[in-house]
Amino acid sequence: MKLFEYQAKELFAEAGIPVPKGALVENEADCAAAIEKVGLPCVIKSQVLQGGRGKAGLIQLAETKEEALLKAHDLMVNRNVGKLLFEEALSKEKEIYIAVTIDPVDSSALIMASSEGGMEIEEVAVKMPDKIVKERVKMFRALSPFQVRNVMFGLGLKGEAFKQGATILPKMFELFKKFDAELVEINPLILTKDGRLVAADGKVSIDDNAGFRQKRFPITRDHFDSDVEYEAAVKGIPYLQFDGKIALMCAGAGLTNTVYDLINYYGGSVASYLEFGGPNYRRAAEAMDLTLRNKPAVVLIVTFGTIARADVMAQGIVDAIAQLKPSAPIITAIRGTGEEEAAAILKKTGLEPISDTEEAVKRAVELSKGGAR
Amino acid sequence: MSIFIDSETKVLVQGITGNEGSFWTKHMLGCGTHVVGGVTPGKAGQQVEGVPVFNTVRKAVAETKADASVLFVPPAFTKDAVFEALDAGIGKIVVTAEGVPVHDAMEIRAAALSEKAMVIGGNTSGVITPGKAMMGIFPYWIDRVYRPGTIGVMTRSGSLTNEVTAMAIKAGFGVSTLVGVGGDSVPCTRFAELLPLYEKDDGTKTILMIGELGGTMEEEVAEAIEMRVFTKPMVAFIAGRTAPSGKRMGHAGAIVSGGKGSVAGKIKALENVGVFVADRPSAVGPLMQKAVAK
Repeated sequence: MKLFEYQAKELFAEAGIPVPKGALVENEADCAAAIEKVGLPCVIKSQVLQGGRGKAGLIQLAETKEEALLKAHDLMVNRNVGKLLFEEALSKEKEIYIAVTIDPVDSSALIMASSEGGMEIEEVAVKMPDKIVKERVKMFRALSPFQVRNVMFGLGLKGEAFKQGATILPKMFELFKKFDAELVEINPLILTKDGRLVAADGKVSIDDNAGFRQKRFPITRDHFDSDVEYEAAVKGIPYLQFDGKIALMCAGAGLTNTVYDLINYYGGSVASYLEFGGPNYRRAAEAMDLTLRNKPAVVLIVTFGTIARADVMAQGIVDAIAQLKPSAPIITAIRGTGEEEAAAILKKTGLEPISDTEEAVKRAVELSKGGAR
Repeated sequence: MSIFIDSETKVLVQGITGNEGSFWTKHMLGCGTHVVGGVTPGKAGQQVEGVPVFNTVRKAVAETKADASVLFVPPAFTKDAVFEALDAGIGKIVVTAEGVPVHDAMEIRAAALSEKAMVIGGNTSGVITPGKAMMGIFPYWIDRVYRPGTIGVMTRSGSLTNEVTAMAIKAGFGVSTLVGVGGDSVPCTRFAELLPLYEKDDGTKTILMIGELGGTMEEEVAEAIEMRVFTKPMVAFIAGRTAPSGKRMGHAGAIVSGGKGSVAGKIKALENVGVFVADRPSAVGPLMQKAVAK
């Protein structure tokens, strides 16, 4: 789960990593007090998870109070931003990129740093790969002082800035370990004109699988693009919404992705992605309820069970149809253990059990374009 | 012939007394697996499907000479269970649990690498040598997927494996050993690390790789072929070629970010070294025939 900038900075501040003076605002009425607190000029930052906030106009600089209030109003009212972070504007001598992430091949923590802060690290990697300093920390060793020095020398830091950087990096590493993070990133880490290093932005991503021991930041509606995606996440059903016509209810991530590809291959379009395999295979009604929310033209159900029994899934689907009475036609390819029984169950309800995935996809695409049922 | 597991492999089941553990112990025995013992702390003296249960892996290994272990242990306890097995000298471990924390997976992989052991998973169906043995949760009774033969299958998925492998079987082939490395972002064993085993195995003539968007495992396979670590013919199917960038498509490992992990990049890398890449599952059979004739 990605944290919002203000949450990341909350962690930074607790760990002793310098952050700009800031104030979080959820109601427009509180903007004036926030400006008072951080001073002018100030930066107004939309607390949303999408990347490229600057380019999208979701981060604004204001010189005067009037300008700040106007821009805050625009973001909250016209751009529908729920939370704004007001911050003091910093004078920039230099911008640094620094991050702790995971190297799955070496199975180590990977520190990446670059003196070209502000840019996306992927862009630096392509354009100036020699500008990236890398340091790998083995899982059964701590971050060693020599590695911290390697990074600070690599960044070309000197004097007081070197010393400050050398205290910030170990703190980032501690957060990485303590919070089961997949990423702890500061971009940019600003060296101010008066010689301070300050985390101007913060990205922290916490491993979803570690939820049982990382309970501080629960998922919220703000983490998702739509109500249905949020509802599905709370229910533990993988679901993504798109704007096409065919809704997928499939078992297994790999198979669902393949069906998604096949729909595109045969010229159709996808309305939603939903997995109800594995531990969710007895939850057909809940799955179908979510699936029908954005009014698909066709529902396509494809499974090839490993753990899940095909007959149990088929019965669940038949029951869900009886309960929800979907108006969209339903195409089924339900295979795996118990598939003969599954076919019989489907037939009884007037559904045609298709055994070949591509055949089912072709049928769904045809129907989604208004073909004969 | 096979890799990783055959009917001689002495298999331990950690978490054998749980619902999953006991259910799949029955089926592992049913397909010929030499299950010699199980471990559940506090349950020593019991039997599951006629298999003796021990309190500790150390004791189980001392009594049964087990050399492999399959885990039906919840994600929160997986790291401890793997370390217990490694500590008892077990060199082949399968982790079926879905939801093992990434930091735990990194520690497991790091420990396995330094101790020269092989841990498969997590989030996997496991390893199966059809007709002989399995460690995991395969519906081996589905004959149009799990038929013995000469194709080594390596995969990141479960259901998709049934779908794609069925296409190769339909074209007249069978499977030597199928290894599911799992769908997590840090699999404890990576595709390329299986290649030396398949290369050495006389029973494996070709490889079917079932990959997915995200990560770099398929690119590493291309590198291994380039470096002649692996020289047998290979067919690949990769899911997610039309997946939108930046969205996590189901599996934790299945995301394209910062231009890395795209299926287009994987296909290019593989085709450059002579791998036959199927554009959809039904193309796998004909390509396999072509690969074998090569």
